[in-house]
Amino acid sequence: MNQRIIRVLLGKTTMEAHDRGVRYLATKLREAGMEVIFINFLEPKEILDAAIQEDVDVVGVSSSVEGHLPVAREVTRRLKENGKEDVLVVFGGVIPERDFAGMREMGVKGIFGPGSSADSVVEFIRANVRPRRVHAE
Amino acid sequence: MQATDKITRSDMPVSPAEGVTPFSPEFIARSRALEDEWRAKFDQLAKKFGVDGASYVQRTDSGLPVKPAYFPHDVADTPENVLAAPGVFPFTRGLNAAQYQFMPWANQPVIGYGLPEETRRRMDYLQAQGMTGYFGNTFYNLVYDLVSHEGLDPDHPAAEGRVGQCGMAVYSREDNARLFDGLPLDRMNVVHISYYENLPVLAHYLAYARRRGVPWEKLGGNSMSWYYQSAYVGMTCFPPKAGMDLAAELIAFCTKRMPRWNTLNLFGYGMEEAGATAVQEVAFTVAAGIDYARGCIAKGLDPDVFLGRFGFQISQANDLFEEICKIRALRRIWARKCHELGARDTRSMHVRIHTHTSGAVLTAQQPLNNLIRTTLHALGAALAGVQAMEVSTFDEALAIPTEHSATMALRIQQILQEESGLTRVADPLGGSYYVEALTNQIESAALKIYDEVEKRGGYHKCHDYVRAQIEASALRWRDLVDAKERILVGVNKYVSDETQEVEVFRVNPESERIAIERVNALRANRDLSKWEAAMAEVHRATERFAAGEVGGLIPAMVEASDADATTGELMAVLKAHLGWAPPH
Repeated sequence: MNQRIIRVLLGKTTMEAHDRGVRYLATKLREAGMEVIFINFLEPKEILDAAIQEDVDVVGVSSSVEGHLPVAREVTRRLKENGKEDVLVVFGGVIPERDFAGMREMGVKGIFGPGSSADSVVEFIRANVRPRRVHAE
Repeated sequence: MQATDKITRSDMPVSPAEGVTPFSPEFIARSRALEDEWRAKFDQLAKKFGVDGASYVQRTDSGLPVKPAYFPHDVADTPENVLAAPGVFPFTRGLNAAQYQFMPWANQPVIGYGLPEETRRRMDYLQAQGMTGYFGNTFYNLVYDLVSHEGLDPDHPAAEGRVGQCGMAVYSREDNARLFDGLPLDRMNVVHISYYENLPVLAHYLAYARRRGVPWEKLGGNSMSWYYQSAYVGMTCFPPKAGMDLAAELIAFCTKRMPRWNTLNLFGYGMEEAGATAVQEVAFTVAAGIDYARGCIAKGLDPDVFLGRFGFQISQANDLFEEICKIRALRRIWARKCHELGARDTRSMHVRIHTHTSGAVLTAQQPLNNLIRTTLHALGAALAGVQAMEVSTFDEALAIPTEHSATMALRIQQILQEESGLTRVADPLGGSYYVEALTNQIESAALKIYDEVEKRGGYHKCHDYVRAQIEASALRWRDLVDAKERILVGVNKYVSDETQEVEVFRVNPESERIAIERVNALRANRDLSKWEAAMAEVHRATERFAAGEVGGLIPAMVEASDADATTGELMAVLKAHLGWAPPH
């Protein structure tokens, strides 16, 4: 079986002090056998640059201090522009429910609020990540 | 606090118990015999519940083992810690002989969101609800927004969606006017909660005060100087040594020009929020404070001149007794370390504490439960004898507080202060065998970590070590929650589908646009040649600062602020000269 390791990019804006959750998640995803790249970004375009460079399957953004809407808009738009709409985009942190629908419309597939378990994120990624690509031998 | 209250080597007792026998051998023997008698009964009961009494041990949230009951002999080997008084060195039992009897702790909610005038409305509202500071004075605990923390202006692309979030959109002297016009600057205290934009924020306030004709000597308040927190917070930051030097720069300036200003806040709260245990919070707070104090001494400052202006912001989380004993241990350790450092004035040894009840343990699930949690946290802080408090609001895990939730948080403090009788006696828990023993335990566990930091060259030399320790604790906490070994009601136990509808605050979406318009207008209307000259001087002053000069940076920044320089512009100079990058 040539199961491809799932590559995840986790990002948090450098402006945000709350990084306990996302760093915990990084550890848990690694324990679940995924490869995790963690970045502190200033502008959302940095996430996309990293996502393309690292050819990731999942982009996860942590946000506990608002400002998630422009980031979600920018990330999903740029992924589409670059033909990467099959990259799974998830958000976590403190995100008000009133924004869920708008974010889903943009293409955010999973939103994990306070108290979500790491296991639920692992399960979600495994269930929704793009099918592994067949590597030409 | 008397100005003449000094401690000299000769009158500083190694032990106030010296020369007396606090617990006679006979007394100890009787105490031990009683424990044996109790132990037999306890083991019997344990057996009934299928537990082996001999191997049974409970642990605090920090992992310290505790006995199921405590006896006089548990504190007999540290008589000097038992024979202690409130207001007497080393201040385990509190800084003040009267504790809350003539002046309760100050209610100091953190305020700050949206435009400065929006924050001002909340300030005026909470003041009308009875928010009071020390000596009944007006007191404002104001937090700046994320854009300001990052050292940017609101028109920067990265600021989108973050202007006025988690703090107020204040970036200039002009914004200070919007915030403070009409308030008596010389008769109030203002805590400016800023991160690494500490110097520009103070410069704006000073430039504004000067225009109002208020002498800087009369300004009361606080700068945070939180540079050391780049060890455990993932925000972009200055390199550790530059941060320490920036703190010393502000301390040196204020020591000379602003005698009423508090210059450094030791932010244990942030450590515990990042995952640190109570023991780590004590150890790293003291380690950071002592290291920064050494940095100031190296720049020629006298510890008795600057140490009294250091304050502490400490968390109060779920483990009631451990959190109380943590504060008692912290006071004792700090007093002794400052004495070792050369301080002789007792005010230089005081741990003046602003408690911030824990936000990290509050839950989005069943949010009204947080009112009960925060009441317990506030009770713990009061039993520990802290000087001021901010009680987190019940909607902490959801959004910025609403007016309603902020009022409830204030009411918790007022009920504790005025209905419960809590303030009747100083250090009401003093002498509890358990409390004294646990205080001792926390003290020695924290000192072990402190010594490890010192071995690594002091706090600013080992940010990586500090981060790794705190992160390991954060992981452990979460694993315990996931394994249901640490209970969070509504999250991993007593989970309910019933939703509690609470109002969720939202910053006025127009604030961002207005803040951008204002900064654009400021740049368009300012006297360009005055601004250019002032900014050139900030560049030169920063170069001199980087080369080791002390005391020139803040005056240069005040002139620039007077010429309408913004926080983003001033920070850009510091970033360019000192370095600026994510900490990890």
